[in-house]
Amino acid sequence: MDQDHPQANSTEPLLAAWIKWTMDFWESMTHMGPAHEDLTGGTDDFWQAALKMWQAFFSLLSEPETVAAVFKGIRPPSEIIVKMAQAGWAGYFHLHQQWLEGGALKDEPPSEAYGFENLDQDIFKICTEIYEKDFRQLLNLPQVGLTRVSQERINRAMDRFGQFQAAMAEFIYLLYLPMKKSLREIHGVETGEDKPEEFKDYYRRWLKLLEGHYMTLFKSTEYTRTLSHTLETLEDFTLAKQELLASSLEALPIPTHRDMDELYREVYLLKKQVKELSKKLAQLAPPLEAPEEI
Amino acid sequence: MDRPKIPVDLIRAMLAADAEKAAHRLEKARDVFLGPLDTEIAATPHELVYQEDRVSLKHYRPQGAPRLKTPLFLVHALFNRETLLDLQPDRSVVLNLLKEGVEIYLVDWGSPTRKDRYLTLDDHINGYLDNMVEFICRRHRLSQVNLMGVCLGGTFGVIYAALHPKRVRNLITTVAPTNFDTDKGLLHIWMKEIDGDRLVDTFGNLPGNLLTITLLLLNPARLLFDKYVGFLENMDNKEFVENFIRMEKWIFDSPDVPGETLRQLIKDLYQQNLLLKGEMELGGRRVDLQKVAMPLLNIYGQYDHLVPPEACELLTRAVGSKDTEDICLDTGHVGIYVSSRFQKELVPKIASWLLQRDD
Repeated sequence: MDQDHPQANSTEPLLAAWIKWTMDFWESMTHMGPAHEDLTGGTDDFWQAALKMWQAFFSLLSEPETVAAVFKGIRPPSEIIVKMAQAGWAGYFHLHQQWLEGGALKDEPPSEAYGFENLDQDIFKICTEIYEKDFRQLLNLPQVGLTRVSQERINRAMDRFGQFQAAMAEFIYLLYLPMKKSLREIHGVETGEDKPEEFKDYYRRWLKLLEGHYMTLFKSTEYTRTLSHTLETLEDFTLAKQELLASSLEALPIPTHRDMDELYREVYLLKKQVKELSKKLAQLAPPLEAPEEI
Repeated sequence: MDRPKIPVDLIRAMLAADAEKAAHRLEKARDVFLGPLDTEIAATPHELVYQEDRVSLKHYRPQGAPRLKTPLFLVHALFNRETLLDLQPDRSVVLNLLKEGVEIYLVDWGSPTRKDRYLTLDDHINGYLDNMVEFICRRHRLSQVNLMGVCLGGTFGVIYAALHPKRVRNLITTVAPTNFDTDKGLLHIWMKEIDGDRLVDTFGNLPGNLLTITLLLLNPARLLFDKYVGFLENMDNKEFVENFIRMEKWIFDSPDVPGETLRQLIKDLYQQNLLLKGEMELGGRRVDLQKVAMPLLNIYGQYDHLVPPEACELLTRAVGSKDTEDICLDTGHVGIYVSSRFQKELVPKIASWLLQRDD
């Protein structure tokens, strides 16, 4: 190990591995078979050229001389900066690796009608994992000094926002799934024997498929779980944001939600008491008089 | 001919194939949009006769003398506006009931603000509702009203009738959930997993927009997509556009829901089904459905995804009344109130049912 650049060297194997995965990726993309011809369509030449260019670029990057040259020019940064960068970098490499290994390039099997079992949500789990293992650590660094409390509030709000974003991404992906499935199935209809002749027939059939998929999704435990989780992260973020705002308002002559809620509660209880007493008084008065109208 | 592959392409293909027609339609649509549009909702003349905090009571008089001695008190749900019952002149439940000679009172729950977050179910049912019934009774020198509840307003009506049976002459529930232990309705499924305490502690009141999104997500294919495709296809039709905008006005105007009331709705009803079990308590009193001994007409929709038949149909068996009737209509949740077909069936039925029980 090069004692002068320990951080840089420790990152090299990661970089090399990433370059190799990326190479594999572009390699497979350039050799993509007819299944993807439809996607490229008339832009096939451009697509091939672009892929080859990327492949060449990563081939160059993968050469040991290039890697060494890259790291030679980098001055050793402070240890904390490297640790922080490594956290993000490692996360990104991990994500990329998972994506390559996890079937991003696999041909997806034909979907079963109205089925949402075994959803491929690994990508969101990985993102959340990366966030929690790497980025979140940075937001949870112990704070010191006069600004400790404020900084902790800011970090907490940022952390909750990150968690909400991750949950929201997963939720939106779930909502997109029926669209994806219905489009794939209507494509199947087009190639099948029972082809609708009119646009409206296509549309109606697609809408029915879409509606069916949504109905199945909404009844699935996966959806309910994700919905509930998203709502919880939104609640956590809202609370953290409120706490941050309230602390900012302390310096200004503006009441916070908490101040107002305490007042509202007192007013509510007092009004309730007054109404009850008024009713009791009214019962003592002569009944069945036409009431005054507003 | 190359077949288009996805709906967006299909829409494009349709437009291209029918370009002249589309251009003409756009031209007419421009005239429609730039011309005078009548998109007013809740236009039936009425009088505001009672106000308590944010809650008010509207009074509608039939043109001639009322055919019924007992006025009908309509209770809408807290989750959206009562204007649904008077959305457009030719499909107004209110107007059609007036034509049948029924005198109407309609509750307007108003727009809760943060100060209303502590209001409970007890405040709404034993407070506001009871005060309004009291007001109507005194105004007409009667001891009872006819009560008709819409959606959760119907659930409120059932609870009120159980706690104040002497105040209700006849009870009508329309698409009112009373059995919450079912997995047929999406809201019933979702509510089981919601942490009501966290939700209320965080937001105070449930924001109306959050509620609207939830309701739209019950059927996104129809409510977020097909509806607007239909609008594009009919935007040269003035009447269609007017009615479409009326409906939009109603949909995107959900008030916030008072927090403590929502907490009870989620925990006591959606999660524990206490009402049907006979274990619900309100204002220190048990809500006993056996006390609902007055005639009961229970109406619901066969294709209602929000409040499915399973959530409504057990009521008539659970109450103490011997005079009960279930009507399951061939429609969905809102169709009962806005479809001209069902209004032609429903409103005369309600009027004649009440008339038979008005002596």
